[in-house]
Amino acid sequence: MYGFEIIQALASVLSGNERIVSSNGNISRQVYHYCPQPQIYLRGSMGLPISVGLGVALARPEKQVLVILGDGNLLMGLGSLSTISYIRPKNLKILVLDNNAYATTGRQKTSSEILDYPSLLDGFRIPNMKPILREDSIENVRNKIRLWLDTSNLSVLPALIDVNPPLLSNIPLHPEQITDLIRASND
Amino acid sequence: MINPSEFLAVLHEKGISFASGVPCSYFSRLINEFENIETVRYIPATREDEAVGIASGVAFGGARAFVIMQNSGYATIGDALTSLAQLYKLPMLLIISWRGLEPDRDFPEHSLMGAVTEDALAGYQVPYWELTDEDWQQTIELALTKMNETSRPVALLVKQGVL
Repeated sequence: MYGFEIIQALASVLSGNERIVSSNGNISRQVYHYCPQPQIYLRGSMGLPISVGLGVALARPEKQVLVILGDGNLLMGLGSLSTISYIRPKNLKILVLDNNAYATTGRQKTSSEILDYPSLLDGFRIPNMKPILREDSIENVRNKIRLWLDTSNLSVLPALIDVNPPLLSNIPLHPEQITDLIRASND
Repeated sequence: MINPSEFLAVLHEKGISFASGVPCSYFSRLINEFENIETVRYIPATREDEAVGIASGVAFGGARAFVIMQNSGYATIGDALTSLAQLYKLPMLLIISWRGLEPDRDFPEHSLMGAVTEDALAGYQVPYWELTDEDWQQTIELALTKMNETSRPVALLVKQGVL
């Protein structure tokens, strides 16, 4: 199972009331290419996608806010798990695509292979879904995504995946244009 | 000293409904005041860059936040400013305690940052004003006008005993 397949599976089950925050690098590119536009495609600010998602969830309680980030990003901003658990917005959901690598910069290994997601998230008292596994069928993945989207609380869906990012062109929007598009779609 | 309840009322009147940050002893009265009000919601952050991330999300959502931190915390938010809040034109008010000046002579951990705080703000192209007892409402007006004109972060520097 690859990250881009999970993003494609997610795109196929979205209702249209979601606001995605995607982490810098491959994940933002994949969300741009495979999901309805516009979304909040982060280009930099590594470690901050969860905090950005928390801010959006608080300001737009009527939207379902989905944060999609990799293991490198999660580890850089691990403290934000404590913050979101403390604030606990019902409309915030986190998808962690853990390929155990900084795939965008050339597949250098992260230290995430030592993580046990259920224990980690239980420790932060964050409701979490049964992880997506490498050997899951795409139908199984879609079901796990549906269950996660259907929860009425803060929830994290971890996905343990292989590294194979497709070659995608860069997002052709300047970040100022991304903000303009998001503001226009807020109204 | 500025009355914290009046201070928050003025910020709320000017459209700010969220706050985040990491405390400074200079802001203890202000942070305590969040317990008494419902107009501005405070989200305690684990790091100052996380607080800038939260304020950025709030701005993406069409609302406004202010962020409190020590100037030591300002030293941790460079990337959150340059590759997020400034790059995406996300307005927010940074309220930064100016540690490392004379009252902090026994706190060497603040000395160097205190000396370079203005250079660090200027270096990252963050417009800033010193908040004082006398004309604080006018200073807030100037700062928020600039924030709205540029749609980018602006900062207030706060010395001991002001807030």
